[in-house]
Amino acid sequence: MHGRVKVKTSAEQAETKRKEREKKLKLYQVASAAAASKRANGEFDKEALEITQNILEQNPDIASLWNFRREILLFWEKDRQEEVQEVLSLELPFLESCLRVNPKSYGAWHHRAWVLVHAKHTDWAKELRLCGAFLQKDERNFHCWDHRRFVVQHAGIPDTDELEYTSQLISTNFSNYSAWHYRSCLLPRIYPDPEQKGRVAEDQLLKEYELAQNAFFTDPSDQSAWFYHRWLLGRAEIEDAITCVYVSKPLQTVLVSFSKPVNLRNEEDEAVLFVDSRPFPSKWQVPDKRSTFSHVWVCKLPPGLLEGETLQHCLHVSWKDGRLKKECLLYPGSKESWCQDSATDQKLFSLELSIEKSSVLRAEMDSCRQLLDLEPENKWCLLTCILLSRVLDPLGHASKTLTWFKKLLAVDPLRTGYYKDLRSKYQVEDGLLCMEYAETRVLHLARKELTSLFHLDLMVLVTHLDVSGNCLHVLPLAMSCLQCLQVLHADDNEIEDIEGVRNLPVLQDVCLKNNRLAHLSQLQPLTSCCRLVSVELGGNLVENLPDFYTHLHELLTHTRPV
Amino acid sequence: MTEYLRMSGVYWGITAMDLTGSLTRMDRESILEFMRHCQHDCGGIGASQGHDPHLLYTLSAVQILTLFDNLNTIDLEKVVEYIRSLQQKDGSFAGDKWGEVDTRFSFCAVATLALLGRLDAIRMEEAVTFVLSCMNFDGGFGCRPGSESHAGQVYCCVGFLTIVGRLHLVNADLLGWWLCERQLPSGGLNGRPEKLPDVCYSWWVLASLRMLGRLCWIDSKRLRTFILACQDEETGGFADRPGDVVDLFHTLFGLAGLSLLGETQLKPVNPVLCLPEETIQRLGLHLQLLN
Repeated sequence: MHGRVKVKTSAEQAETKRKEREKKLKLYQVASAAAASKRANGEFDKEALEITQNILEQNPDIASLWNFRREILLFWEKDRQEEVQEVLSLELPFLESCLRVNPKSYGAWHHRAWVLVHAKHTDWAKELRLCGAFLQKDERNFHCWDHRRFVVQHAGIPDTDELEYTSQLISTNFSNYSAWHYRSCLLPRIYPDPEQKGRVAEDQLLKEYELAQNAFFTDPSDQSAWFYHRWLLGRAEIEDAITCVYVSKPLQTVLVSFSKPVNLRNEEDEAVLFVDSRPFPSKWQVPDKRSTFSHVWVCKLPPGLLEGETLQHCLHVSWKDGRLKKECLLYPGSKESWCQDSATDQKLFSLELSIEKSSVLRAEMDSCRQLLDLEPENKWCLLTCILLSRVLDPLGHASKTLTWFKKLLAVDPLRTGYYKDLRSKYQVEDGLLCMEYAETRVLHLARKELTSLFHLDLMVLVTHLDVSGNCLHVLPLAMSCLQCLQVLHADDNEIEDIEGVRNLPVLQDVCLKNNRLAHLSQLQPLTSCCRLVSVELGGNLVENLPDFYTHLHELLTHTRPV
Repeated sequence: MTEYLRMSGVYWGITAMDLTGSLTRMDRESILEFMRHCQHDCGGIGASQGHDPHLLYTLSAVQILTLFDNLNTIDLEKVVEYIRSLQQKDGSFAGDKWGEVDTRFSFCAVATLALLGRLDAIRMEEAVTFVLSCMNFDGGFGCRPGSESHAGQVYCCVGFLTIVGRLHLVNADLLGWWLCERQLPSGGLNGRPEKLPDVCYSWWVLASLRMLGRLCWIDSKRLRTFILACQDEETGGFADRPGDVVDLFHTLFGLAGLSLLGETQLKPVNPVLCLPEETIQRLGLHLQLLN
């Protein structure tokens, strides 16, 4: 029941209505029973077609009746082919009238497609015109859009014609989201980027920026063009890659991280570890010991394999039948070593920009800022300024970005949670870039109003992490990939869940003062960190439990919590 | 006049009753008796007696029987066989033997098999590939490759990927943004850009955000107010929008939405299968959501 207003009725009116309904029901029941008995008795005749047509005209959603009609036509196909073709040609105007009354009937659209395929002389051009007419009435009817794509495929209409159709629709109404969507499917097919799968070649891309910009300058509150613009700004699909290989001699462990979550237990995705050129029969594990897919995998080496203070060792990981590989050298006397891709070189957080593209985006940034002067409360424009500054120069625009976020939170409070998380993501990215520039393994993310943690898979080498003074509720499971973490500062948050502080083999100090830990069970994950030296829990409700410290000692027998 | 979707109607009704803690007030025996007449020789289940089998009603039936803890009312091996028979070459699922393909049916297939503990029965890699081929520029999903994103379809595809343990393949930040932009000033949620709010999207959008670990991206308080405004004071049921005619469909999804928002008068609902959490736990089904 969609969009039917409930009307207050008098008793008399209600009675009249009831009678009407009863009459309708009676007719329906008689017709349904007749159709059912014909079907049961195998009476696949013209009368059956008439009866089902009468019912379907009233309600095209009764799937079984469409099925019955198709059964009749298939039954006739053996020896009454001419009649079949005649009925099929009459089926089209009948369906058209059904769809006029109920343009969102799945059953009617599906039957129409079936009829078109089974008819011998389908006029696909005519059918395309019908789609156009229906879309003129409701430009967002997704059933009709899907039908159009089906017709286009059968009629062999080139993608370029369809792109032209979307241009027409968009030029008459910028807020036709369905047409923008269709463009996003057509463009990568017509103008594929030779290097980035699924993306659009640059010269066409620049034209699309202009189109989107025209649209949102005409009506800055219309979301369709802004969504499209965000897609244009997007990145290509992340390619498979090994992003880091790390080895620790004291832990006898090799860690490998990947550009996306993988399942090394899957035979096709097997990774082979070579130690000094000899394949090592490795048993890969995920740090959280739970997930099936993970960015990070670790492998224990048998004692003695990396022996010899004077010897250099080579750890080589080969993946996807050797197409992807990475190695790191453990020099004589070193305890650990790694080889990691750089976030800056890989453009992990910005875009690969040609001179043309960067000048277009800079120009666009200028015009967006002009638009913002005219419409200082426009959330789409604010968000786009933020996105543009991120792809152009994240650190250079850092403080301006924060001002824009503040404004966004004020003008669009419904999406407070989203904006805060997005800001947190960018703060983490900036923190990671700064750490890379400083060439340290200490990540400072304290007092940045973080509501969530992002990019934990890029922190595998971090030894010290400071996230105190934020608004975190959870230290998520993905945190268990911080396998080098020694010191964790997370004081003054709203943390009530530390499930990610789990299986961290070298974690020594954990500060969790002034959080929302209230039960001993919430501390359970700590028991899997076997090198813990100190845990600070002051200012948590859990501290007030009777005999708390005795219980804590029992829980963490190997630690000396302060 | 509604028997062409009766099986789903029964599911909406009894799940709503169970969420409110009133399942015992339903006539369980007569429902089970009704269901015995709806399974066809091919294994599929129809909306009611005399109606053809379809994946939509097969899932509804298995959900109902799960709630009643009475799965053996029907021939389960045949149900599995039916689902298997509907998988197409490209991994997609047809809704019935007439071949309509839609990501809704991919969801119906794996949801039913998950409830029966038989996910091994289909070609999973191909099924995943097909669903991913329906992913769009906005991170959402449509009915078929090239179809526009729609919140109902997003729920089906995100639910599908959750059930088969591949939720990491979704661009959660991008899709989460599109989903939270469904919230309108009234507090209600729509299913696509520029559309009106509707109570059923309180479920399709909210459950998707819950699976993606991003429920806090919408304003819960305002949504709660909107859902409650759709409850009809005379009958107690829920309509799509305030002041409209109520029905079982919107009543279930209104209640389920309220449950996800933490309404304590209702049982907690499972965001993937839209059954009470306690039922999913009884089955020992583990569905990993993002956090």
